[in-house]
Amino acid sequence: MPADPNMKILVVDDMSTMRRIVKNILKQLGFNNLEEAENGQEALTKLKADTYGFVVSDWNMPVMMGIDMLRAIRADESLKKIPVLMVTAEAQKENLMEAVQAGVSNYVVKPFTAETMQDKINKIFK
Amino acid sequence: MAQPRAAAQSHVVRNEDDPEEKTPDTKLYEELGELARFIDTTMKTLSEFSAPVNASTEQLPQAQSHLLNLKTQTEQGTHRVMLEVEAIQDNHTKISTMLKEMTLALQQAKSSPAVLAQVSALGQTLGQDDKRLLDIMTALSFQDLVAQSVNKLVTILDEVEHKLLQLVVVFGPYQKQAAKTDQSKASEMLKQLEATKNTSMDQDLADEILKQFGFN
Repeated sequence: MPADPNMKILVVDDMSTMRRIVKNILKQLGFNNLEEAENGQEALTKLKADTYGFVVSDWNMPVMMGIDMLRAIRADESLKKIPVLMVTAEAQKENLMEAVQAGVSNYVVKPFTAETMQDKINKIFK
Repeated sequence: MAQPRAAAQSHVVRNEDDPEEKTPDTKLYEELGELARFIDTTMKTLSEFSAPVNASTEQLPQAQSHLLNLKTQTEQGTHRVMLEVEAIQDNHTKISTMLKEMTLALQQAKSSPAVLAQVSALGQTLGQDDKRLLDIMTALSFQDLVAQSVNKLVTILDEVEHKLLQLVVVFGPYQKQAAKTDQSKASEMLKQLEATKNTSMDQDLADEILKQFGFN
């Protein structure tokens, strides 16, 4: 099933520049219902308060790391089916196994292109 | 009662050929004395380093400030470029809509194929530029990597500052004064330094330590 262009997407990153970049890419890919959060904790609050179809999250964040947020999502009955795309820095590749074990849907390594993002979204929603 | 004496004697190994040879106890005392002199010399040498160490410690917060300023400036610059890119993207969306309407109007007016081909070419050029704008946008993610590196450097500098201040407290001239006046002050500072080991150091603590060594 292809990704619904109207689904609500949550972009989670502590860096405002990255949130803006990811949102811009998603917008160019045809997604217009975009929300953002600065860390895993804020993301969980938003996810519990509304219905989201997809989460794009950074790994390294203050307050709550992306991996901890992912584990919390997978442990929550009402959230566990939401696809989560993890965005990691080059140096954190070794952490990817941890993310796979935690139930990540796919991952993107920074810096990435719009094509890579499109490819990952296609694989998640195929 | 004769046992301790016998035990002491058992440590003495005499060489009949060398009446000057020292007992192991004497050797031990001499080595301890040598070690004490070495430690004293080292302490004095390290004490002489306290002034340059103080100067370096004083500069570290400035270095951290410069690095954080660098992060802020790259962030602001990146947002500025993003703002312009987004404005151009919005204009492109409007132009693209206009081109579609124009194509439809030209087709309804049975315009020449050459004109329609020109309009189509305009649309393609616009699409290519949209791709370039998106590439510019994604290339700006360098700022995130710069920010992460800056954060790591600031953490390292913070740790170095802690270590240097520990050296200042342990080997600095304050230690000599403290022996006469308030010996607990240095150990109190060390405790405070240890307590702030995993967090950003309180500027007041750093200033207090430096002040003790004549840096205001």
